[in-house]
Amino acid sequence: MGGFFSTIFSSLFGTREMRILILGLDGAGKTTILYRLQVGEVVTTIPTIGFNVETVTYKNLKFQVWDLGGQTSIRPYWRCYYSNTDAVIYVVDSCDRDRIGISKSELVAMLEEEELKKAILVVFANKQDMEQAMTPTEMANALGLPALKDRKWQIFKTSATKGTGLDEAMEWLVETLKSRQ
Amino acid sequence: MFAKLKKKIAEEAAIAPRPGGAARIPRSVSKESIASMGADSGDDFASDGSSSREDLSSQLFRRNEQIRKLEAKLSDYADQVRNLQKIKEKLEIALEKHQDSSMRKFQEQNEAHQASRTKMAEGMSLALEKKDQEWREKLAHLEKEKRLLAAQLQETREQSLNLFQKRDEIDELEGFQQQELAKVKHMLLKKEESLARAERELEGCSRELSRAQGELQASNCLSSHLAGELRELRQQHSELETQRDELVGAEASAEEKITSLEQRGQELQAFLQKLAVDLQKAQAAASGCEKRLETLQAEHECLRLEYEQHKQKMTIEVDEKNKLIGHLQEKVSSLEKRLEGNFSGDEHVQELLKEKSALEQQLSVARASHVETVSLLETQVTQLASKAAEGQSLLSEREELARRFQESSMSQLQELEQTLQLTEEALTRSKEEIGERELQIQKLQSELDAESSRLKQEISTVKLQCTERIGRLEAQIAAFESSREADQMSAQHRISRLEEEKEELLGSRREYEGSLKQQEAEVERLKEELRSRETLSVEIAKALGETREELHQQVAELTSASQGKDQLITEKADTLLKKQEELEQLRQSHEALLLQTRQLQSAAELCESQAAEREAAAGKQLSALRLQVQEQQERLLASESNVTALEKATEALNKHLHPLEEREAESNGEVTATDIVVLQRENQELEQQMVEKNKMIKQLQQRMTELKKTLQKELKIRPEGEFAEVREKTNSEVPNAALTVTNNADLNDSREINFEYLKHVVLKFMSCRETEAFHLIKAVSVLLNFSQEEENMLKETLEYKMSWFGSKPSPKGSIRPSISNPRTPWS
Repeated sequence: MGGFFSTIFSSLFGTREMRILILGLDGAGKTTILYRLQVGEVVTTIPTIGFNVETVTYKNLKFQVWDLGGQTSIRPYWRCYYSNTDAVIYVVDSCDRDRIGISKSELVAMLEEEELKKAILVVFANKQDMEQAMTPTEMANALGLPALKDRKWQIFKTSATKGTGLDEAMEWLVETLKSRQ
Repeated sequence: MFAKLKKKIAEEAAIAPRPGGAARIPRSVSKESIASMGADSGDDFASDGSSSREDLSSQLFRRNEQIRKLEAKLSDYADQVRNLQKIKEKLEIALEKHQDSSMRKFQEQNEAHQASRTKMAEGMSLALEKKDQEWREKLAHLEKEKRLLAAQLQETREQSLNLFQKRDEIDELEGFQQQELAKVKHMLLKKEESLARAERELEGCSRELSRAQGELQASNCLSSHLAGELRELRQQHSELETQRDELVGAEASAEEKITSLEQRGQELQAFLQKLAVDLQKAQAAASGCEKRLETLQAEHECLRLEYEQHKQKMTIEVDEKNKLIGHLQEKVSSLEKRLEGNFSGDEHVQELLKEKSALEQQLSVARASHVETVSLLETQVTQLASKAAEGQSLLSEREELARRFQESSMSQLQELEQTLQLTEEALTRSKEEIGERELQIQKLQSELDAESSRLKQEISTVKLQCTERIGRLEAQIAAFESSREADQMSAQHRISRLEEEKEELLGSRREYEGSLKQQEAEVERLKEELRSRETLSVEIAKALGETREELHQQVAELTSASQGKDQLITEKADTLLKKQEELEQLRQSHEALLLQTRQLQSAAELCESQAAEREAAAGKQLSALRLQVQEQQERLLASESNVTALEKATEALNKHLHPLEEREAESNGEVTATDIVVLQRENQELEQQMVEKNKMIKQLQQRMTELKKTLQKELKIRPEGEFAEVREKTNSEVPNAALTVTNNADLNDSREINFEYLKHVVLKFMSCRETEAFHLIKAVSVLLNFSQEEENMLKETLEYKMSWFGSKPSPKGSIRPSISNPRTPWS
């Protein structure tokens, strides 16, 4: 019933919820980022078999943030959630040099989807608090971001556990979403 | 007065009833009070007497005493009462007296009062009467006044009526005034309107004026524009004129170009000649080079022969030396053996040693000489080798020279060919030009002929005209001369006549002057008479003035006539002079015409000669060009043959050289320079091949590494990759594909994970909000292998749940698997 009324309110006041997907390989820190964004706290997480969906309010904009599990066997189901997505937050583990190639191929496959043609891409170079972390430019090159055409994208170095870089990234995302409307 | 009286009466009334009662009551009271007092005291005794007799006695005594005292007191009191009664009586008497007096006074006063009252009434009545009279008078006055006032009232009423009438009139007048005012206002408004209209008209007029002014300005601008255009047109006209001039100039320049082209043709011919000379020089140089080559080869052969001789000598010498050395060594060995045999003889030994040393020295000397000779020979050899090398270098230089020459000759040939082509083209052009020129020349000739004929005709005509003119002019001159003479004669006649007239006039003037003097004398006489007859004199004076004026006029006329005659004479003289000048001019023009005709004739002749010269020159040029072309072709052929000969010669030389080198190599038994060069080339080629192969190897290695990497990647990414391949298929197949992709070892695990995933998704789908559930439909349908229909049905139901209105979507048959055929709905 509450949802019913909220839909009425949203339809009345024209404040559509922005739909955002948080994607990335398993163990990149997607769930931590989601709850850091929603509650502002670091929560202990277990591998997500499935997804988490939360409503995050940031600067008077409501986001319906979907955190989809990143395990290899359930990655194919990501495409079930692509429709009507406004932005994609792609989380990459900055220390995982071995699997950045897989991350890149997943990203490329995702960006080729027709349903995500208009989605904004925000890449979170996560776990920047670690010592052996790669720099954002390195990661951008490794992910092949400079080669992207017809796509608004930006990479941010973040640390979900320390909470650094998330605000800047969300700021940018809000601005770009506002400017796009 | 009355109040006092009343008080007094009241007091008297109060006192008056008392004397009967009051006089009795106080007496009774005093008696009773005494009796009660006695009774009381007796009661006190009775109450106290019961106590004792002594006490009673004492009390009795005391009571007695008290009685005594009381009796005393009583007596006192009785005295006092008596006194009081006396006083009372006295007072009653005084009262009665006072009452009487007061009564009397009262009566008196009443009487006085009544008397005064009456008196007062009488006075008052009198006064009243007086007053009545006064009032009556006053009333009469008032009545009179009233009448007056009534009259006044009537008057005032009349006045008021008049006033009302006047007011009405005034009102009417005001109404009239207002009407008139309204009319006036109306008129004013109309006038204002008309004024406004007039103003508007004025404004319109002013606008029209301004418009007209604007139009005027525009027309002025237009006129200025037109003037500007006129100027421009004039400028254009002038420009066109200048262009025309320029075009005329261009024509001239084109003619100049034609001359320059002719010069160019000449230059090209000169160049061709130069080229032929160069070719000859080159051929000479080639022959010189060949000669030098032959001499050099001869020198080379001589040197080689010398070298061989030297070598043979040297070998012989070396053999000899070797033999000598062998002999000497044998001698030494024999001597040593001898020495060994004669070990004791030291002197022998020493001698032998000396001999040995001498021999050794000899040997060394011989060896040294031998070495020297050897070194000399070696140096010779080296020199020879160097010479050979020089010869080779010379040869190579020659070869290069020959090549260069070949190349240069080839290039020259090409250039010559090009020049030939160019010259041929130029020839064709020049031929064309020549043809054109011939045509032009023909045209010019025809034109010239025409012009010359025309000119001749013109000249003849002009001559005829000139002769005619001359005849005419001469006749005219004669006529003019005759006329001049006649004029002169007439002028002289006139002059003489005029002079005669003048003399006559002068004579008449003198006569007049004389007559004047006479008249003056007469005047003087008349003046004298005038003095006597003043009346006559005035007339005479008048006549005199008139005559004077006439005289003056005549004189002026005469002078003017003489002046006009003078002017005529001068004019005639001027005309004569002019005629003479014209004659001279005509003569000059005649001479000029003659000159022109001569010039034209000469020009015609010149033109003819020029045309002939041009023809001749063109013919010569043509023939010369043809000859040149033939020569060039011949030269070309010759040069080609030369080139082929040269090539053959060079080939022959090369062949010569190669066998010579081979022979050298064979004779020397050493690696010659050519071989070295060949070897070096081979070496270089081999090295290059090596480098290329190394590169190939590196590239192959890189490819290997890349292939390895890609293989590894593919191995790692295989599931996704295959998924991507499968992705194009329908949605329902996706999970199956994903399932099949996973490795067999992880199959159970993945199934578990998938089951867990399904469970989670379904849980969420059932628990979460409609908006979120809407997004989850796809995931659920993919996980549970829903068909498209089922998915749509889910969506519809969810939309129904989310929306306020709308009917529930009718369930499709697919939701009821137990029913084989979906029932058709009733409606």
